[in-house]
Amino acid sequence: MFEARLLQGSLLKKVMEALKELLNEAAWDCSDAGIQLQAMDNSHVSLVSLNLRAEGFDKYRCDRNLSMGMNLGSMSKILKCASNEDIITIKAQDNADTVTFVFESPEQDKVSDYEMKLMNLDQEHLGIPETDYACTIRLPSSEFARICRDLSQFGESMVISCTKEGVRFSATGDIGTGNIKLAQSAKVDKEEEAVVIEMQEPVSLTFACRYLNSFTKATSLSKSVQLSMSPEVPLVVEYKIEDIGHVRYYLAPKIEDEEAA
Amino acid sequence: MGIKGLTQLIGDSAPAAIKENEIKNYFGRKVAIDASMSIYQFLIAVRSEGAMLTSADGETTSHLMGLFYRTIRMVDNGIKPVYVFDGKPPEMKGGELNKRAEKREEATKQLAIATDAGDTAEIDKMNKRLVKVNKVHTDECKQLLTLMGVPYIEAPCEAEAQCAAMVKAGKVYATATEDMDSLTFGSNILLRYMTYSEAKKMPIKEFHLDKVLQAMSYTMDEFIDLCIMLGCDYCDTIKGIGAKRAKDLIDKHRCIEKVIENLDTKKYAIPEDWPYQEARRLFKNPDVLDPETIDLKWNQPDEEGLVKFLCGDKNFNEERIRGGAKKLCKAKQGQTQGRLDTFFKVLPSNKPSTPSTPASKRKAEEPKKGSKGGAKFKRAK
Repeated sequence: MFEARLLQGSLLKKVMEALKELLNEAAWDCSDAGIQLQAMDNSHVSLVSLNLRAEGFDKYRCDRNLSMGMNLGSMSKILKCASNEDIITIKAQDNADTVTFVFESPEQDKVSDYEMKLMNLDQEHLGIPETDYACTIRLPSSEFARICRDLSQFGESMVISCTKEGVRFSATGDIGTGNIKLAQSAKVDKEEEAVVIEMQEPVSLTFACRYLNSFTKATSLSKSVQLSMSPEVPLVVEYKIEDIGHVRYYLAPKIEDEEAA
Repeated sequence: MGIKGLTQLIGDSAPAAIKENEIKNYFGRKVAIDASMSIYQFLIAVRSEGAMLTSADGETTSHLMGLFYRTIRMVDNGIKPVYVFDGKPPEMKGGELNKRAEKREEATKQLAIATDAGDTAEIDKMNKRLVKVNKVHTDECKQLLTLMGVPYIEAPCEAEAQCAAMVKAGKVYATATEDMDSLTFGSNILLRYMTYSEAKKMPIKEFHLDKVLQAMSYTMDEFIDLCIMLGCDYCDTIKGIGAKRAKDLIDKHRCIEKVIENLDTKKYAIPEDWPYQEARRLFKNPDVLDPETIDLKWNQPDEEGLVKFLCGDKNFNEERIRGGAKKLCKAKQGQTQGRLDTFFKVLPSNKPSTPSTPASKRKAEEPKKGSKGGAKFKRAK
């Protein structure tokens, strides 16, 4: 028997938004520690890793580990039926082939339940090593979304370079070039509005804007976002979800062609 | 052509070894293409109202049309193709080649009958059977590839074997062909439908040799023996033994020698002259160029050269050729998108490889945890 009750149902709706642009389907791995999801997009360029800890739920019960393969398009349709104030409960029997979503209004005067068929997914899981990144940049998530949106007008890819002075985002294309420089904030009133850079060595990497724009669909989950980079390894974009977990995106960089003169 | 019934057999007993993917997901991959097979395919498929495309003086141009546009389709999707041409066929293929010649003769006769009877559908069918790739075709294709800046290799013997050697050496990601014997030669990944036209909307089918071996629990030697039993280009098979029985026999006895020892020869006659050992040798140690000595280079296309070669006599539309050349140029520039699976290792799946009911399959799945720090970053080639 699996049951997870989330008082803040809107959170799950937001998580859904953060997933469904990159993934069509994914396996939700449930254990007594919480819910985890790891999946690559079809082209194997990016990966989404979601972690929702058990203690973040109002009620959480997982008798035996189970992995529920869900069609995220269908799941999104169901979650659209929930209001933002609703309390959401996810339920499944052991070895069931369906999952049930229950939405309760805050006054308990309306209860709706939706049952969804599960899928048999054969997905590859990747082992992601713990890495000390050469640069980590924390910035307001809305600022990052804005930068990605603005620069994707210029070209398909964006260069992110981090130095002592600050971080620079740039894109080049047919119409011209765009550069955005952010300096480390000297003093701020609110912590989530700060730009904080920690750097061991300067890093400059190129990424496809298309994926970065998909990542920013998680903006509503967190006030700030953290980018971690090291030379020649995937970028990590992490949105912390208050009190319950995080969603992390990994994106493979673009690599110089070996044959290109 | 290929191994008889192998596709079906893999589909039945190792479904996990087959994957389908859209062509756009192969960006950045180097792929070795069996040239002779694709040229043949183009001669058959690239037609207008049932007749091959021809130049002003009646020379066939279907193969050039096909090669030009389908190569551009691959390049446009970020794939780096390299074509491999057949060299001399191995002596053992003589029997198979004779058979093909007989079939062709038969088709010629049928064609004459159909022409007399005025049966257009039959004429069309027989005409296609008579298609043969000749030296003019291959030479023109090589010339076209050079102009397009796409590399090609002339294999000393079988192209399939050369492709497989290149896959094994990590020079290319996969072999693109419709012939299943590529797997028997040891090409770990085989892609089908790579050179099909865009209009067919056919997803690419990927066959993984390691998964085939794992699911059937065979060693490579046992797999080769199975392929010989199924029927390859090099020797006959035992009459009366089909795919199912061949697999059962190899499952039980693990090699052809033992199969023969235990076979009821009254019921199943072993061919008198059955050089299976020789066939096995051809699959295991084929005559190939050392992949390490092969230098693959994708060059800038020669736009003017292409226009000169294809337009004029050969009746191609200049505008479209220039458009194609632009696409080739564009693909040459810039960087390639990396893939996550070259950086992070895929964790071994702990699911059963045999097909099972949905419920029991889910039970076997455990959340993948505790992998932290296990894998190291791995750089792509």
